[in-house]
Amino acid sequence: MSKRYHILILFILSAVLLAACSSTPAPSEGQTKKKSVNLLFNFAASSLDPHVDTSYVSLRAGITETLVHLNDTSLTIEPWLAESWESRDGQLWTIKLREGVTFHNGKSMDGAAVKASLERAMKDSLAVKNALRIQSIAANAHTLTIKTEVPFPEFPSELVHPNTSIIDVTDANYVKKPVGTGPFAVASFTPRTAVDLVRYDGYWNGAAKLDSARFSFNEDANARSLALQSGTADIVFRPEVETLSNLEAIPGVKVESTSTFRVHQMTMNLERKALQDIHVRKAIDALINRQAIVDTILRGHAEAATGPFPSTFSFAPDYPDKKSGLDAARAHLEEAGYTEVNGVMQKNGEPLTLKLLTYSARADLPLIAQVFQSDAKKLGIDVQIQLIEIPEEYMAAKRDWDLATYSNLTAPRGDAGYYLNATYHPNGALNFSGADNDHLTALIDKLNATVGQEKRSVIAEQIAKYVDEQVYNSFVLHPNTLVAYKSDKVLNWVTSRSEYYMLTNELDVK
Amino acid sequence: MFRILSRRFIEVAVFLLVITFISFLFVRLAPGDPVLTILNVDDVSVTQEQVEALREQLGFNDPLLVQYGRWLFDFARLDFGNSYITNQPVMEMIAGGLPATLELSFGALIVMLLAAIPLGSLGALYRGSWIDQISRGVSLLGAAVPSFWLALIFIDLFAVRWGVLPPMGRDSIVSALLPSLTLGLAITGVYVRLLRSSLLDALSNEFIRAARSRGLSEMRIFFAHAFRSSLPPVMTVFGMSLGSLIGGVVVIEVIFAYPGIGKMVVDSIRSRDYPVIQGYMLIMAIIVFVVNSAVDLSYRYLNPEMRIKERKNISWR
Repeated sequence: MSKRYHILILFILSAVLLAACSSTPAPSEGQTKKKSVNLLFNFAASSLDPHVDTSYVSLRAGITETLVHLNDTSLTIEPWLAESWESRDGQLWTIKLREGVTFHNGKSMDGAAVKASLERAMKDSLAVKNALRIQSIAANAHTLTIKTEVPFPEFPSELVHPNTSIIDVTDANYVKKPVGTGPFAVASFTPRTAVDLVRYDGYWNGAAKLDSARFSFNEDANARSLALQSGTADIVFRPEVETLSNLEAIPGVKVESTSTFRVHQMTMNLERKALQDIHVRKAIDALINRQAIVDTILRGHAEAATGPFPSTFSFAPDYPDKKSGLDAARAHLEEAGYTEVNGVMQKNGEPLTLKLLTYSARADLPLIAQVFQSDAKKLGIDVQIQLIEIPEEYMAAKRDWDLATYSNLTAPRGDAGYYLNATYHPNGALNFSGADNDHLTALIDKLNATVGQEKRSVIAEQIAKYVDEQVYNSFVLHPNTLVAYKSDKVLNWVTSRSEYYMLTNELDVK
Repeated sequence: MFRILSRRFIEVAVFLLVITFISFLFVRLAPGDPVLTILNVDDVSVTQEQVEALREQLGFNDPLLVQYGRWLFDFARLDFGNSYITNQPVMEMIAGGLPATLELSFGALIVMLLAAIPLGSLGALYRGSWIDQISRGVSLLGAAVPSFWLALIFIDLFAVRWGVLPPMGRDSIVSALLPSLTLGLAITGVYVRLLRSSLLDALSNEFIRAARSRGLSEMRIFFAHAFRSSLPPVMTVFGMSLGSLIGGVVVIEVIFAYPGIGKMVVDSIRSRDYPVIQGYMLIMAIIVFVVNSAVDLSYRYLNPEMRIKERKNISWR
């Protein structure tokens, strides 16, 4: 090797070492320390486009806001960028916008800007178009008149959806720097790594207490826990359950476990001969040891489910007590004509065999399937587990399965309409059980035509009760969201049940 | 010259056509499509009719050859389309992530060279000694330890316990050190063993004995003769593995939240984001082709025998 090579190698090594030794200069005397937090989230976003990105980072990071807000405590919708809304027939809506709201570029948020934002959202996102079902929008100063394609009473709830965020569409850098109305403006964005934010001083609801914030991403739970331990992150979403005791042992670290709007359910294929018998469905329901699953698989960070909706929702009914366990399941199977012969549950000489689908995208689902398989075996039921990749695809295309562990959002925006339509209406895209019951469909249609949250809750409750009576699907648990944060540094942190609202103007540091 | 260039161009075109067609077939024949993701069914109520209508609108019900023809027609106009999921232009997405992935891959290669050359050389020079045993042990360990575990151990040591390096992100060149170190050490084992055996072969050549008989120093013999002639097989493996290295940084990118294209493509495969997958396959094919061509050229530099043979072939013509 010549001298030149030696010098080149030495130069490279020196540069690397110098870079490694360099550090950010500490603020000099007289400089006040900037207040900032780093929130580490568990999904990575490649784009900040509020109308398209399904990680909802723009809303979560306080960059954008929606017209309607979901109150995480009362679980009802409330005004946000919209001051009020009304409709007599559920089809023609008048929305009064909040005055004095400005975008990060200083422009006023008026009716024309909101109209343009909603139209752009519907143009670029089919999901938003389907969610809002808007036929026409008319803007006049700070009032919007919106006509939906059909009477659509849950329209205000749909305006909670993060993809309906209001942005200034004339500023077209949607992917890297959307211009919203929230307490934080984008300083820079590195796809799949982090978005750096600065306080927007002109925020309508009072400028943020923080000077800046970082909303970063890491999809590895262990790495997230280590980031909290190293001091890189202040708030960490969904740390590994196994590391919780380690995190709680760190002075100043607090772990919060908050219930969500999600349900893990056992979907039943009603087209299968065995499952057409309600007693078999009841037996399956009785076999699910919910509390044991919550205590062991989710280590207590979940709520055993009695129905699709968490008990705190106004439309979650009080269900009649049901017997569960092996004896109760055996009794139901006997009613269905099954008997246990030589350890095999059978009817007319045919053993009861069930094919149970599961998928690993949610790590607890395959474990729930295994627990069920083990309990069913005690009754002489042979449960064959099949791991699939895309559950929606498989369940819709193939009907050779009996049961499937599946995870559903049931009331993401405080209204039951989404889940009940998608899961129990014959046309619903998530109606994998094949439920097609005239009475149930009529109830859902009635819900779809009912205006007013209270009236809707009554009908939603009726539907939930009917689904429970018919045992269309079994509901296992409502998983919690886990957040670990430095309570000795971070002030006013609230773990949002909807998981929509994270960085707020109230968030502060000591 | 013109004939050689045009022949090379046709070769490249056929190669790209075959690669893109095979990848197109594989992805389309796999179950699933991006329709449910586009409609965000986990959060928005849609009907089965809407699902079917979108399938029809996107042309997923057309025969595969028709779909491929459409892609090829757009590709001929240098239109790589937009991601179904994010609406971003595919090439913009790839261009955004490729530098970080290349950075990580080259960082890993530097780490690998710094570790593999001394270990492989010492193993060959002191064959059978304790130094050789250590070299082989390290290479075995490098091959056996999973990179995700190594990554977490390094984060724990360098970021949590010692606080000298950032655990994740890409804020400066320092951020690249830990992921490069992890990835580099993970691939070192293969090269240590390869270099050692290649050097042992080279040291048993006649020209080495001839050099010794001429009284050249062992160091000169080793570096000027043996080491250089041991490189072609190493370069071959290097060329073959660079593609898999660029494609195989996914785990490292996830753990270190490094904004490369590896994770982006895995997500695209999961959500069946066809335009992104096709764009990625095309870029990867070009990179692999360029690297392999560079490896071919390096043979001529490293192996005088090859140059002489080529000259003879030319003179005979």
